[in-house]
Amino acid sequence: MIPRDDPPPFLGTWNRVYAAVVIYLALLVAGFYCFGRAFA
Amino acid sequence: MRTLDWAVLVASILYFIAYGLYRARGVNSTHSYLLAGKTMPWYAIGLSIMATQASAITFISTTGQAYSDGMRFVQFYFGLPVAMILISMTAVPIFHRANVYTAYEYLEQRFDRKTRYLTSVIFLLQRGLGAGIALYAPSVVLSVILGWSEQATTILMGVVVILFTVVGGVKAITWSDFQQMILIFFGLIVSLVMAIQLLPANVSFVDAIRVAAAAGRINPVVTTFDLNDRYNVWSGLIGGMFLALAYFGTDQSQVQRYLSGSSIAQSRLSLIFNAVAKIPMQFFILFIGAMVFVFHVFEKPPVLFQPADQKKIEARAEYPAVKQRFDAAFEARRQAAYSMIQYDGAAGDSFREIYRGAQKELDAARVDASKLAGPSNDVNYVFLRFVTTYLPAGVVGLVIAVVFAAAMSTISGEVNSLATVTVMDLYRAARPGAEDSHYLMASRAATLFWGAYAIVFAGYGSRLGSLIEAVNIVGSLFYGGMLGVFVLAFYVRRATATGAFIGVLAGEAAIFYCFWFTKISFLWYNVIGCVVVILVGYLLSGASRRYSDA
Repeated sequence: MIPRDDPPPFLGTWNRVYAAVVIYLALLVAGFYCFGRAFA
Repeated sequence: MRTLDWAVLVASILYFIAYGLYRARGVNSTHSYLLAGKTMPWYAIGLSIMATQASAITFISTTGQAYSDGMRFVQFYFGLPVAMILISMTAVPIFHRANVYTAYEYLEQRFDRKTRYLTSVIFLLQRGLGAGIALYAPSVVLSVILGWSEQATTILMGVVVILFTVVGGVKAITWSDFQQMILIFFGLIVSLVMAIQLLPANVSFVDAIRVAAAAGRINPVVTTFDLNDRYNVWSGLIGGMFLALAYFGTDQSQVQRYLSGSSIAQSRLSLIFNAVAKIPMQFFILFIGAMVFVFHVFEKPPVLFQPADQKKIEARAEYPAVKQRFDAAFEARRQAAYSMIQYDGAAGDSFREIYRGAQKELDAARVDASKLAGPSNDVNYVFLRFVTTYLPAGVVGLVIAVVFAAAMSTISGEVNSLATVTVMDLYRAARPGAEDSHYLMASRAATLFWGAYAIVFAGYGSRLGSLIEAVNIVGSLFYGGMLGVFVLAFYVRRATATGAFIGVLAGEAAIFYCFWFTKISFLWYNVIGCVVVILVGYLLSGASRRYSDA
């Protein structure tokens, strides 16, 4: 049986989900950097 | 441990057993036992992946690491989201469509049987050691903190895991992991709230962060590039990505989790969930450690957190001098911290310098004390000592239950994956054509064997001494090679079986060279090993094709 390859339940396509994760990672690292600098 | 703590701990463990056995109903084939009949939803797989990866020692020592070295360890996970995306794009659909039980079974379809055997055996070697350590490491810490024998904690955790893993297989494991991860989240939130609440009344939450930062504990991003430095943003993004690719893409203990997904989309969502949730969770755990550090800026900690080591050094003639230095440095640090909070501007800066000087003196006194005690990893005891000494009844039992849950979720996943590879990659190949019920029984027997092996191995753990650290590095000695062969399989169409096989051996040779003859941090082994496998595999594949064409 060939497994189903459904679209994601949000953002329409998997590529958009992946792009959202990359943007999220960039924001997270930037946020951590700012957090560290703010109290340094 | 008070009566309420015992009640919480015992109730949690009994609940895990009952729930695992309840979820084990209807498991009557290898497909349902090893892949949960491919029926699992993304949220259960996602939490199970997280639970399998986060062992008890992760919770115990990560908090201790933030206490002693700050939060920079979080960078270790920066490459994980990118790795999850790459695995979702490639490994998940390929494994699902290949309809395999193990990642190594796919390598036989793509290359040949000897490549499957080689990778299966590497996995059994590496994960077999890991399962023993995953059981031994928390049992040592718990035995010291709770005053139990190491055997008692090892056997308790091991038997509970064997009970529901042998009966229910991956379905019981995944649902138990789901429950255990929820308990872990709850326990972590309670721990952080308690650590903040226990701070002196005149120290606000923002003050606490300032105090931690002034001692270098709020350092989640280090931008300096240094190959020999274990944790900076570059080693995390690049080395961490390769490590995560290898672990989540080629290690059967993880592959088996997402192979149980009801569809490719469900498996992908489980990985995306980890891509989003893993870094904040680690940041949260490290932040707890930083708050425990601040708590001990105002509340005097012991010189050493390991109770047996503390007793040992108290008997030494050098101890009074070390203790005197430690006490003086602690008092100077506490006074400077209060003054630093109170004053801004130039006055605040001068108190910050005094505070940092006192911190250095305190660290030096702890180093001298550690030398008196001999080899030991004191950071592993920071968090649990804080919990058992300062937290109220009930919460202590909850946190200890969290540690048990974290240990059990890791061990169950590892034991189950070891059994799967043993039966599907090795035993079934040696004895093909038997009934499915025969392989189901063999899978249960293999699970029992690997569970018992983990308990027995953990029983000898005390004789391993510093080997434990070496065993922790074993993973990174093999992951680069494993990742390389899967990259060849997925992306290099011209790759041949011979090229891949020799490529793995060459990659392993390169990693072992780095390990023995260089000071390169272990995170980079994954990059080096992977690149060597791909290069050698690619070149040899071209040569072997030309040879066969001729």
